[in-house]
Amino acid sequence: MIPAVQVANLRYNYPDGKEALRGISFSISPGECIGVVGPNGSGKSTLLLHLNGILPDPLDGSSAVAINGKTITKKNISDIRREVGLLFQDPDDQLFCPTVFEDVAFGPRQLDLTEEEIRVCVQRSLIQTELFGFENRFPYHLSSGEKRRVCLAGVLACEPHLLALDEPTSNLDPRGKRNLHNILKSLPVTKIIATHDLEMVVELCNRTIILDEGIIIADGPTTELLGNEELMLQHGLEKPHMLRHRHPH
Amino acid sequence: MHHDFFDRFSRLNSPIHNLPSYVKLLFSLGIIFSIVIMPMQYRWVFFTFFAVLILISLMSKIPWRFIGGRFLFLEPFALGIAIMSLFQHNGFAIFLTILVKSTLCLLTIILLSNTTPFSEILSLLRRIGIPTLLITVLALTYRYLFVLVDEAARLRRARESRMFVIRRSRVWLSLTSLMGQLFIRSTERSERIYTAMISRGWQ
Amino acid sequence: MHIPDGFLDAKTAIATAVFSVAGLGTALRHAKQHLQSREIPLVGLTAAFIFVAQMLNFPVAGGTSGHLIGATLAMVLLGPNAAIIVMSSVIIIQAAIFADGGLLALGANIFNMAIVAPVSSYVIYKTLRGLLQNTKGQLISASVASWCATMIASVFCAGELAWSGTVAWNIVFPAMVGIHAVIGVGEGVITMLVLSAIAKTRPELLTGTSFQIHRNENKPVLIYGAVIVIGLLLFVAPFASQLPDGLDRVAQSLGFETKKIENMGFSTPLHNYRFFGIESPTLSTIAAGITGAGVVFVISFLLAGILIPRKKNINNSPHSM
Repeated sequence: MIPAVQVANLRYNYPDGKEALRGISFSISPGECIGVVGPNGSGKSTLLLHLNGILPDPLDGSSAVAINGKTITKKNISDIRREVGLLFQDPDDQLFCPTVFEDVAFGPRQLDLTEEEIRVCVQRSLIQTELFGFENRFPYHLSSGEKRRVCLAGVLACEPHLLALDEPTSNLDPRGKRNLHNILKSLPVTKIIATHDLEMVVELCNRTIILDEGIIIADGPTTELLGNEELMLQHGLEKPHMLRHRHPH
Repeated sequence: MHHDFFDRFSRLNSPIHNLPSYVKLLFSLGIIFSIVIMPMQYRWVFFTFFAVLILISLMSKIPWRFIGGRFLFLEPFALGIAIMSLFQHNGFAIFLTILVKSTLCLLTIILLSNTTPFSEILSLLRRIGIPTLLITVLALTYRYLFVLVDEAARLRRARESRMFVIRRSRVWLSLTSLMGQLFIRSTERSERIYTAMISRGWQ
Repeated sequence: MHIPDGFLDAKTAIATAVFSVAGLGTALRHAKQHLQSREIPLVGLTAAFIFVAQMLNFPVAGGTSGHLIGATLAMVLLGPNAAIIVMSSVIIIQAAIFADGGLLALGANIFNMAIVAPVSSYVIYKTLRGLLQNTKGQLISASVASWCATMIASVFCAGELAWSGTVAWNIVFPAMVGIHAVIGVGEGVITMLVLSAIAKTRPELLTGTSFQIHRNENKPVLIYGAVIVIGLLLFVAPFASQLPDGLDRVAQSLGFETKKIENMGFSTPLHNYRFFGIESPTLSTIAAGITGAGVVFVISFLLAGILIPRKKNINNSPHSM
């Protein structure tokens, strides 16, 4: 089976020379949901930006990332960007159209669909993200949770094979978080979630990667990794409450 | 933070709001143009215009207070120029003409802008062939206007929390420093927006 | 300087609209060729920024406050071509959403604030920059250019109002230019302070090399210049009654009647406006304007001296804009 994502020895330095990723390797099978956790500055966001070819900038021939078996190159970058739906940390940066409808339609519009097909696409995505009826709303007037969901809808509208989410629950109240958890749970697409929200990782992700200072410290079953108090503390994390009273067998 | 004058009423449900945008735009332009070229002798025409506009205001269900408020805010500048018109041959007549005309036109635009969401105006402009670049820039400006206003407000609050002496020169320095900060943040934000746009296929 | 509807007659509205389309169209065409996609959000956000900047209240005397127009600021930051697009966007949104400035008057407002202001500011800025190379020089050039641009834009504004028959030239010209001479000082000071603030944290944003927008930015300026000169002939020339003979004849051969100063039944302070004994209100005002420019230059120079302490010129790059 072709892995959904294959990353082989990925290295990346920031423009100022500092090492961000120092040889990352892992693969994701179709349908899996993996969490990427680590302290601030560990390289989580940078890793995600490699999955749809935003980095390295400019793209050279030898990408270390392959999506669905295809190595990312300049030629197939448009396809890659359609197959990988990336959700950014600040929804205001990503919600750049005047209305919800136009924003969700942004992706499908690039695909030469008819107006009717676009409308259907947008409707479907809005229903998936529990935003039915929001078509004409102004992004400015939405709550953080609603904005997040619009961004998700916009990404889902192109039917991606991989969802890459960067801190999806930051700035959400408990209700917003719960909402998003449930929506993500209901989506069968392959997912990779970079986050500090360890409770969500326990709930949604069978497998977790711990990243620290640009290298993978551990890659394994979520409960095992996150339940290892010493490991967590060593890398700037904490054992989530949900696992505090569980026994690992 | 909410800005009362911003598009609060542009999506009400009224017979006026439900008209297609091109109708509203053409009508507004038509009325304004007619007002501008109509000689003042034909008083009854102006009364008709006024009656029509009042009728539209009523049908649009936009609160009077709001319309009045917009008026009070915008009228002083018009008055300023109008007063200058007094100092010429036949000045008083010209002054009155200008006052009447500009008031009617102002009312028209207030009604138009509050019954038509800007995004629809943009679609209209796109359809009549205004270059895509301008439409994109207008859409982005509109979208991020209030994000920036909020950001500026936050920056200002943070500064004011640390300002104990309110001297005028300090205020100028503080405001311009804030503006500098805001611009730099805007350049950084525009990079992130670009990244988000290309992530979704934009070229 | 936003002119509402009802103050300009049809011919002025149409003429200025034609000029605006010409100017903005040229800027858009230039942008299409030279603007990178990466910079389009920047143009949008800068427009939003200028909009917000225009909203800020700068306290002046006793309860009144001044505001920035921002044309020169936009020009220094993004170059004249992008500045035209930025300012036009601001003006369009102000008219369409906030009813600030008329719809028919859009042509005039865009022409004055989005084309005349940034372009004239650019010409003056570039000229002064040629003489004053260092960082301090950049601030002074920007400041003086702001003041001049504000003044020049107000001249066109006055001309348009006079050509419409709304206000008499000999009232509106000194009034507009007089008021904007003062407003322009604020514009100059604010522009300089903002640029100085940006230079402290991110000086590379001011060198004109970090954005590709600045490539080939000079070429369209000729077109803008032509449009502006035609506007000048149309809106200002007919009123400047004491034109040198040659220009007078040119104007007449183009069909414009040079209007005589209105003879008024009563005198007002403005009727007898004299600047050091010069008879014509036009020439008086122009002379006052030039003197004003000198004053602003001195103020800017002193201010720049305060903002940039005397130290080794680390930032003296030969490629500074």
